[in-house]
Amino acid sequence: MSLVNFTAREITCKIVYYGPGRSGKTTNLHYVYGRVPESRRGRMVSLATQTDRTLFFDFLPIDLGQISGFTTRFQLYTVPGQVYYNATRRLVLQGADGVVFVADSQARQLDENIESLQNLQANLLDHGVDIRGMPLVLQYNKQDLPRELILTSADLDDALNFRSLPSFPADALHGVGVFETLKSISEQVLKRLSQGTTA
Amino acid sequence: MTVRAVESWTLQPLTDYVHEAGARLVLLMTPAGQVLAQFGFTRAVDVMAAAALGAAIMATTTELARQLGQPPFAALNHQGQRHGIFLSGLTTGRGALVVLAVYDLDVSSLGLVQLFFEQLVTDLRAGSPREGVPKQVLAADFERELNESLSTLFGR
Repeated sequence: MSLVNFTAREITCKIVYYGPGRSGKTTNLHYVYGRVPESRRGRMVSLATQTDRTLFFDFLPIDLGQISGFTTRFQLYTVPGQVYYNATRRLVLQGADGVVFVADSQARQLDENIESLQNLQANLLDHGVDIRGMPLVLQYNKQDLPRELILTSADLDDALNFRSLPSFPADALHGVGVFETLKSISEQVLKRLSQGTTA
Repeated sequence: MTVRAVESWTLQPLTDYVHEAGARLVLLMTPAGQVLAQFGFTRAVDVMAAAALGAAIMATTTELARQLGQPPFAALNHQGQRHGIFLSGLTTGRGALVVLAVYDLDVSSLGLVQLFFEQLVTDLRAGSPREGVPKQVLAADFERELNESLSTLFGR
């Protein structure tokens, strides 16, 4: 849930990057970390296994600057995508203001994407949150792979995007779509704040 | 040292606690890792990383307790060569909160930090407001400023 300090005029929001294992959640954060000036970001914290798979979460705080007179900061989290780590995935979702679902565009990963989206819905429900009320953006990552290996954005919209949510094709490794995704989820989260509601 | 409170009712109890317990760094946060008050950190973004990690430890042990079929663990202590970390949850009218205290072993001790934590809990409960209804925060036309901020951040 967003934290608003009316005295110091500060807003802090939590955004969680969710999705199946190896879909590119951590890659999104690495790209943001690399592009944002040091003065506007904190340390990137990664709780990972020895093989660099996310164990608990990655965390990156960024300072967006002044919006409507409020110093606005976003805390970006990823969850571990592997099925085995559902308990920790559920913990990271606690208090989320918005979710970016990072799907793997490879055709052979379609079932994993669907399972992960269903898992997101279930884990949000465990926190008493209806996914339909949560700011949510879809990112179709790895669109740079050979065409015969991947599904198009339209195919993925058909399979995953029943509610016509904002969706973005991406190649997070090279930054394609990363900015657009972050911008879209930021808008949705702040729009809820401007309407006086929170997740 | 910097004492800073997002919600002003937390400031005096936190200041008293730091003074009495001899803590070096203290964070008061929500279980989701949002900081309500802090002592001893200089950069806001560094505070966030510490809060995220503290909240994660707390969430993990609370979940372990749940799976063991028992109430949440009262407190957690890690003792290093020079510093100790004390982490504990509490409930107030504002909702569930978490305190993370870092102390130097040559200045304070787990006993002191724990002893005055009880007083901190009492003071916070006495001063806490009830959870309020969210107020409207941003102007409806915030998008332009958001776009400018993000474009600047990404160098576009």
